Amino acid sequence: RALVAPSLFEGCNCFRQRLVLSTLSGKRVKIRNIRSKDDNPGLRDFEASFIRLLDKVTNGTRIEINQTGTVLFYQPGLLYGGSVEHECNVQRSIGYYLEALLMLAPFMKTPLRAVLKGVTNDPTDPSVDLLKVTAIPLMKKFGIDGDGLEIKVLKRGMAPAGGGEVLFTCPVRRSMKPVHLTEPGKIKRIRGTAFSVRVSPQMANRIVDSARSILNKFIPDIYIYTDHMKGASSGKSPGFGLTLVAETVNGTFLGAEVVSTPQGQGDPVLPEDLGRNCAKLLLEEVYRGGCVDSTNQSLSLLYMTLGQQDVSKTLLGPLSPYTVEFLRHIRDFFQIMFKIEQQKPGEDEQKGGEKVLMTCVGAGYSNINKTIK
Amino acid sequence: MEKKEQKRHQHKHSGPKADKKNRKKEQGTEPERDERKRNPRAFSVQSAVRMAKTFHRTQDIKTKKHHIPLVDRTPLEPPPVVVVVMGPPKVGKSTLIRCLIKNYTRQKLSDICGPVTIVSGKKRRLTFIECNNDINSMIDLAKVADLVLMLIDASFGFEMETFEFLNICQVHGFPRVMGVLTHLDTFKNNKTLSKTKKRLKHRFWTEVYQGAKLFYLSGMVYGEYQTQEVKNLGRFISVMKFRPLVWRTSHPYVVADRMEDLTDPEDIRLNPKCDRTVSLYGYLRGTFLKNKCQVHIPGVGDFSVADVSFLPDPCPLPEVIKKRALNVKERLLYAPMAGVGGLVYDKDAVYIDMPSGHGSQQQEVRPTTELVQSLIGTQATLDAKMAASKVTCLMFSVLIVRKQNPMESREWDERAQRERRRAVFADEDDDDDDDDDGDGEQESDEEEDEEEDDEEDEDEEGVTTLKKHDKTAAETAAPPVKKQKCEVPMEMPAFADSDDELEKSEEDESEEDESEEEEENEENEEMEEGEPAKKSSGPDSGLCSEDDDEDEEEDSDTDEDGDGTVKSKMSSKHPEEENIDTDDAEMGYETAGALRWKEDLAQKATEAYLRHQLAAPNLRKLVYGTGEHINLWDDSNDEEELGGLFKVNRPEKSKKVRADAMDCSRFQPDNSHDWDQEEVRSSIRDCFVTGKWEEDKDAATLLKEDEELYGDFEDLETGQVHKAKTGNKDQAEVKKKKKKKFFSIQKNKRLEKKRRLKERFDAQYDDGDATYFDDLKEEMQKQAELNRQEFEDVDDEIRVQYEGFRPGMYVRVEIPALPCEFVTNFDPHYPIILGGLGPSEGNVGYLQMRLKKHRWHNRILKTRDPLILSLGWRRFQTIPLYYIEDHNGRHRLLKYTPEHMHCGATIWGPITPQGTGFLAVQTVGGIKASFRIAATGVVLDLDKSVTIVKKLKLIGYPYKIFKNTSFIQGMFNTVLEVAKFEGASIRTVSGIKGQIKKALRTPPGAFRATFEDRLLMSDIVFLRSWYPASVPQLYNPVTSLLMPVGQKETWAGMRTLGQLKHDLGIRNKPNQDSLYKPVVRQVRHFNPLHIPKELQKALPFKNKPKQMQAKGKTPRDLQRPAVVREPHEKKVAALLDALSSVYAYKNKKARAEQHAKHKEFLKQKEKQEAERQKRMKEERKKTYRAMGQKEKKKLKSSLKGASKDN
Repeated sequence: RALVAPSLFEGCNCFRQRLVLSTLSGKRVKIRNIRSKDDNPGLRDFEASFIRLLDKVTNGTRIEINQTGTVLFYQPGLLYGGSVEHECNVQRSIGYYLEALLMLAPFMKTPLRAVLKGVTNDPTDPSVDLLKVTAIPLMKKFGIDGDGLEIKVLKRGMAPAGGGEVLFTCPVRRSMKPVHLTEPGKIKRIRGTAFSVRVSPQMANRIVDSARSILNKFIPDIYIYTDHMKGASSGKSPGFGLTLVAETVNGTFLGAEVVSTPQGQGDPVLPEDLGRNCAKLLLEEVYRGGCVDSTNQSLSLLYMTLGQQDVSKTLLGPLSPYTVEFLRHIRDFFQIMFKIEQQKPGEDEQKGGEKVLMTCVGAGYSNINKTIK
Repeated sequence: MEKKEQKRHQHKHSGPKADKKNRKKEQGTEPERDERKRNPRAFSVQSAVRMAKTFHRTQDIKTKKHHIPLVDRTPLEPPPVVVVVMGPPKVGKSTLIRCLIKNYTRQKLSDICGPVTIVSGKKRRLTFIECNNDINSMIDLAKVADLVLMLIDASFGFEMETFEFLNICQVHGFPRVMGVLTHLDTFKNNKTLSKTKKRLKHRFWTEVYQGAKLFYLSGMVYGEYQTQEVKNLGRFISVMKFRPLVWRTSHPYVVADRMEDLTDPEDIRLNPKCDRTVSLYGYLRGTFLKNKCQVHIPGVGDFSVADVSFLPDPCPLPEVIKKRALNVKERLLYAPMAGVGGLVYDKDAVYIDMPSGHGSQQQEVRPTTELVQSLIGTQATLDAKMAASKVTCLMFSVLIVRKQNPMESREWDERAQRERRRAVFADEDDDDDDDDDGDGEQESDEEEDEEEDDEEDEDEEGVTTLKKHDKTAAETAAPPVKKQKCEVPMEMPAFADSDDELEKSEEDESEEDESEEEEENEENEEMEEGEPAKKSSGPDSGLCSEDDDEDEEEDSDTDEDGDGTVKSKMSSKHPEEENIDTDDAEMGYETAGALRWKEDLAQKATEAYLRHQLAAPNLRKLVYGTGEHINLWDDSNDEEELGGLFKVNRPEKSKKVRADAMDCSRFQPDNSHDWDQEEVRSSIRDCFVTGKWEEDKDAATLLKEDEELYGDFEDLETGQVHKAKTGNKDQAEVKKKKKKKFFSIQKNKRLEKKRRLKERFDAQYDDGDATYFDDLKEEMQKQAELNRQEFEDVDDEIRVQYEGFRPGMYVRVEIPALPCEFVTNFDPHYPIILGGLGPSEGNVGYLQMRLKKHRWHNRILKTRDPLILSLGWRRFQTIPLYYIEDHNGRHRLLKYTPEHMHCGATIWGPITPQGTGFLAVQTVGGIKASFRIAATGVVLDLDKSVTIVKKLKLIGYPYKIFKNTSFIQGMFNTVLEVAKFEGASIRTVSGIKGQIKKALRTPPGAFRATFEDRLLMSDIVFLRSWYPASVPQLYNPVTSLLMPVGQKETWAGMRTLGQLKHDLGIRNKPNQDSLYKPVVRQVRHFNPLHIPKELQKALPFKNKPKQMQAKGKTPRDLQRPAVVREPHEKKVAALLDALSSVYAYKNKKARAEQHAKHKEFLKQKEKQEAERQKRMKEERKKTYRAMGQKEKKKLKSSLKGASKDN
């Protein structure tokens, strides 16, 4: 009998989610009307690059794109993993690609060792640094630990020209552990990295000072590293930025970051402003709260979905629009619905805004790619 | 076995022992002393090393007993246990089921058709399924069986089916197996009986496990097994525990016990072969079933489910458990395929299936069920159904089909390896089984049937005399088959009548309701007949509309969803049911469960609804929408037309933004918070460790509590009592001030305190024993508890959306686009299983598996011969390629499977998780092999490409030879080909190795190669290469359920090459060179050796060829004269002779002596040598053992390392 008809989607919104979930669930996907009414219709270069990356980490994937690039048919293969090197398009930063890889990596046949080249930091996507400090500890809570798990910035490349290089390695797991992240705990320290490439090393110090000026009002345990890369490891464009992460006593990591505007796009920023903005962003993130920061909400929800058939719980801050879309897609691909309970803060508590408790029963997913011997 | 008489102990009457005893007797009993004290040496530590070893060993044994702890996911109200009754034909399966049903429910079911669900106890329900003698059914049922009752004809012994079934079970996770020996009454001799019992028992034990339970059903009484024996069996079944099996706990499945065709009759009228929409009903087992998931129906194929909804349990467990035993009302029986069932709720209707009851009612009822059941049994078309006579006719045809089975088995038996295989004929002669309907035995059958009927009557009337059961009496009665036929038309009105009575018992019932009820009954019957039901009168009410209806009816709550027409029908019905419950006990017991369910549900639903309304400002709605999906594929209809010709193509802003928005996970913050302001900042003050802590976590309070706990203590030595001063003070203050206000807090505190104390206590005392294993177990237990509690108080309707339908629910699964043969050729005797598929298990790919030919299968398997695999839920035909892994990880193709070894196999088949077991048969149609299971194995890996290679030797010939360089031709055809193989190593047949260097221009394909030695022109050069083999992409599901009734076991797929050749009469022409020819040996003729003259001259004399001339006659002058000795000379000669002989004798003696001495010496030497060898061997052994242990340890540690990350 013929296979089940592919799921139909429209538009390039949530492009990554659809392809990633399709790969994990083995369901075929057809996306139509991709920027069909745009002046420049069809898939963009960065999306094509993303598809190519998926093709590299899988085996037996079938991709059909029509002439104008407005219709994409995707039949997922099996996740293969292994050593992969990919030239990411500079329109989006490596974070764009890495987010998808984080979702796929534990379910490969062989441990993934991906070298991604391109832009490491840009204003649109979560940067590699942020994922390194927030996503990796989160993954550890789901049982993906060991030596193999790491994100390493080999070279830093700023937008627009890029030239950065990131190494991502991840071990494979047969199944995910259920989690009960309901208690975020109190923030015990704040760490951060202020980086600067192809500009004066002094920039980083200026950023640190300004960021500390705000954060010191809350907690004294702050340490912000300065990271100035030179020569070959400094990429092709100048820039600087700051990544901050707040760690709680229960091992929750909340992160925030700001990067300087890319060269030749918009007004330049002062490092002092940047530091202050970043600190405020971190406070905003703390205000939102939860056990998972806003960029990794979808990652944690995915891992919960792909867990054993057990109840998992996670306390999140307000759901981001991306997460909401992701929840819908999870329902489409895995038929998993989350129980969403709002938790209003108490009257005398001063712990930020409303929280959302997400509860689900895992899909009983197991890694079908991993070989047994 | 006779017990051997053992020699008894003889008491001594004299001697030291007797004396000792006497002395003891005289002194009286000696005071018993402690063994340890009396003989301390025996209990002292002899060797510390040994003690350490024993300790180590006991620890090892203890640890070995551990299993990996798993989260307990068994549902609170488990689905009925599937009891599969399996056995060769005519062994008494149906009789056993009938007896068991009677034992449990006190009801009689004449024909076992499809699954029969009964309530067997306070906490257990059973579903009986009879497995017919078809390998398809055996495979399917082995996958769903919780308990297998394996019937064995003791008069015959084991049959191959039994072993086949056991092997099938083994592959798909071993369910509980209980053996039942029947036909024990055929043994006349008691000794042979016990001997046979023992023999069979031991054989059974080797197959299942030592001590597996085997029941003996000795003899029949009036066509039934003895009540006591059945009761015992029933007891065993109802207390049996089951272990979870991996595949089943990870996949949902439904054993369908009811099927309805929902296709629009108009569509069928237009095209009788149109695809059908079918709804299947059954208890959900295994794990959670998600709506809109994919299922596999073994024997039909893969389908995606259109809709799942849960229905009230048709066979519910008793609500309150306080009594000791079930009362009659609670012993429910539900078998819709056999035409027995209580009140059946559907999505938009309620059916009263049949007013089955006890005592006098049953008599009237039974035939109706037979009617329905006969209608189900027929696979007739519409017009066939019109004529009732044809129904029975067709039923008869079914019987004929059944009769064929023993024929097959008989043939089969002749080939079985049992030594008593001939007994099958004798067995048939004196077989007193009651479900065989062969023409030859019709008479006796009728008798038996009669007996049965009579007995039933008796039971019903309460008559206890058994006199009537004479054969003569039975013969006078009409044949049962005809009776059935006659009663078909008669019973219809009776059915209606009973309904009328039912109605009369009500006081206020309108006529409309009555007619409606009747209509519904008819409708129900129609559905049962497999006719399409008229359905979906209104819009679907979503999941379980009846629940909504319930709570509307009971609480007059207004609910938005719920369809009007059905609602009215339903609401009018329920009070009526309640009345039945109160008025008519006979009727009521069937609805009782439903009613209890109803009350509870309604209450629950309202509660949940209220809670729902209160709680959520509906984030859920925001995320998942209100239920209706936004149709993505609606093209914008609100396009304007310009002058009727052109359309204005106006990009819709909002939609476009939604569809083509930026794909970015970053959550941009709203700028409402100005973090420069103090009050904004203070809103997150408590998020930091510097902020205020919660009451229960604050360091200060914790400290205080600790003081409370540990502050007061009494110094035992001095008797001084220390009091915690500060704590007391504080407490007093708190009591005064905040007693009322923080009463609850105090309580909590106390609880917390207690908990903490207990924790500390545990930590102190259990810490030594707490192992990793215990921790893991505890964690799992916690998880299981959480799983249970999380959605406990959620309304079922919402709950199924979160977790899916949970096992134990009675679900209705709607499947569209089923092939029409499924409905037209429906046979309830064949199990219908809906096996849920996990994500991506619906896809197809290459599977690598480890496979072993079954030892009992008498032929090895050939690569590329189609094979039928049973893997996961599926049965399918595919083409495997066998391979073996070389030492370097290469997968080398094998032509045949090894005889007694595992090998790899790669197939193109459905993606199935690794570790899943499978079995292979060569054919499912008929019985050709003596043991049909050809191979078993396990899935190792899934991939989208194949890695199997085939050895390919390319052959070439030298055409020009220089020193070590040769020009080779004939291996390749073009220069390009050579270029690809440059540097490859080649070899001659004689073993000279070489390398390909470079292609030559002419002739094309020739190349220059260098060798380690000079070649000969006669040498053959070959290149060993590996050619990737391709696996044919054949995946052909076995569609045995689609076959016409009676031919379901004749499914035949692709034939093997051998079969094809055999069928078409093609014989291969053998290679002429391979044929044997008579060996003709020629006598070899050797030429004389010719040595050149020069060489002859140079040779030493010794080697010079001697030119020997033939000796002529010696001339007379050269002839020597004979010597005549003088007497003195003679004497001397004689003396010399004597001397020399003495010398010779002496010499000989000395040599013999020497020889003997030497021999001795050699012997000694040999002995020494042997000793040395022995020593060396021991030494070597020791070394090897050490090496081996090291290796093993290494292996074990690597295994451990591998398993750790699993």
